[in-house]
Amino acid sequence: MHDITSQLKNTMIFRGLSDEALSALAQKASTRKLAKDAVLMRKGDPGDSLFLIHNGWVKIVTVDSKGDELVINKCGPGETIGEMALLDGSPRSATVIALEDSEVLELKQDVFQNVLDQRPDVSLAIIRGYSERLRFATTYIERAIDWSQKTAEGDYSFINQTQPLLNQAGSNDDKAAQMLSAFFAMVRKVKEREEGLKQQLEKLTFEIDQARRKKEFEEITGTEFYTQLKEQAKTLREKRKQS
Amino acid sequence: MNKGKIVSIHSFRGGTGKSNTTANLAAQAAMAGKRVGVVDTDIQSPGIHVLFGLDENKMGKTMNDFLHDKATIREIGLPIGDNTDTTEGRAKLKGKNLWLFPSSIRGREISQILKEGIDFNKLNEGLQTTITEFDLDYLFIDTHPGLNEETLLSIATSDILIIILRPDSQDLQGTSVTVDIARSLDVPNLLLMVNKALPKYDHAELKKDIEEQFSAPVAGILPLSFDMAENASSDLFSLRYPDHEWSKGLRSVAQAVLALG
Repeated sequence: MHDITSQLKNTMIFRGLSDEALSALAQKASTRKLAKDAVLMRKGDPGDSLFLIHNGWVKIVTVDSKGDELVINKCGPGETIGEMALLDGSPRSATVIALEDSEVLELKQDVFQNVLDQRPDVSLAIIRGYSERLRFATTYIERAIDWSQKTAEGDYSFINQTQPLLNQAGSNDDKAAQMLSAFFAMVRKVKEREEGLKQQLEKLTFEIDQARRKKEFEEITGTEFYTQLKEQAKTLREKRKQS
Repeated sequence: MNKGKIVSIHSFRGGTGKSNTTANLAAQAAMAGKRVGVVDTDIQSPGIHVLFGLDENKMGKTMNDFLHDKATIREIGLPIGDNTDTTEGRAKLKGKNLWLFPSSIRGREISQILKEGIDFNKLNEGLQTTITEFDLDYLFIDTHPGLNEETLLSIATSDILIIILRPDSQDLQGTSVTVDIARSLDVPNLLLMVNKALPKYDHAELKKDIEEQFSAPVAGILPLSFDMAENASSDLFSLRYPDHEWSKGLRSVAQAVLALG
């Protein structure tokens, strides 16, 4: 049971809960065994429970435009699936299939809501957790706007000055943190590509035909007009110097 | 008294963006608080006056009349600062000390001028009178491409010669002759400006190579720009789009001119 409690503690929505509250929740959870290839949920099913993978691996799949199965993600021990469903009850957005014989822990929405009804302290801790995460995500969005503008202007200095923030629990499993990490990776790639292009600048080579240059110069300077002009210009420049 | 400087702008071939550069340089100098004149050498073709938003039909007397003593210089100078329209870039010149001096010194007329005795000294006297009468700091002359007699006269009287070239072998070859002529005529200050440079070329290398080849400073390398082409003569580009790369390059040339006193 202690194992389940600590795993629940790592899930996003239960992060702020005390061990005692977590263990109360864990006791309400039921275990389900899945054989390889068993379907845990189908896309479009009502979202009415959270699953915590105890052991084994599952794949989260959807169907692409051609009707072929597309694996979005794989989840293993300690990871949770459908945690938002406990609060909003939205239909499942993907299908989940066991990759091997697995064991999952199921926490039903009605059981969870009973706990919330009886335990205002648990409700409050969950609301606080959400609030903290929202604030964290908003900070990231604000920074991302600023960094996007800098990137558009070709100023990449922020990637050396800033490290993607970790949330307060020090974990990096938040979607906001993942997005920022992907954003930084993108900016590094853009910067590298741009530097690569700069290095590919061509050197313009030119050569001046010195014989032709001399010939054309002599054609112009060889006239009476030019000789006279040069003389006048010389006088003028001397006059300007004196004044 | 510190007399105004004559700045000639020249290029070996046409199509280098000479008129646009001249108008923008003059505008930048005026924006910097200088008293500036611009001699428009060809009012028949769309040129500098269009960039300043002036209608050629409104231009009566020209520099030619002045050189032939048929008009005073006061009658020739068109005050740009009093004639600004609402176009975003040009509107910034309102109240600035900038005058346009239309002239029409074309091939056939130059021989006539020479025949009639308007020689170098007379031209120079005329330009000096222009400077004195309007108390100018700079008088910009947009010369014709090539090295005909009229252009040689302009070069000979210049305190500063700016040669505009595109980075191609024909322009570089032609520029080499102009550089030699400028030295032969003792032009005190020579500046090179590269226009329409493709972004794929290494501009720093290009600057170094050209400066080495001609022993003259490259005051700016301005990029080939579709924005610039699209703007055409509809406004003074460097005033309208001050943050554009072309405008930045142009300002560095303007600063080089102003730094020469």
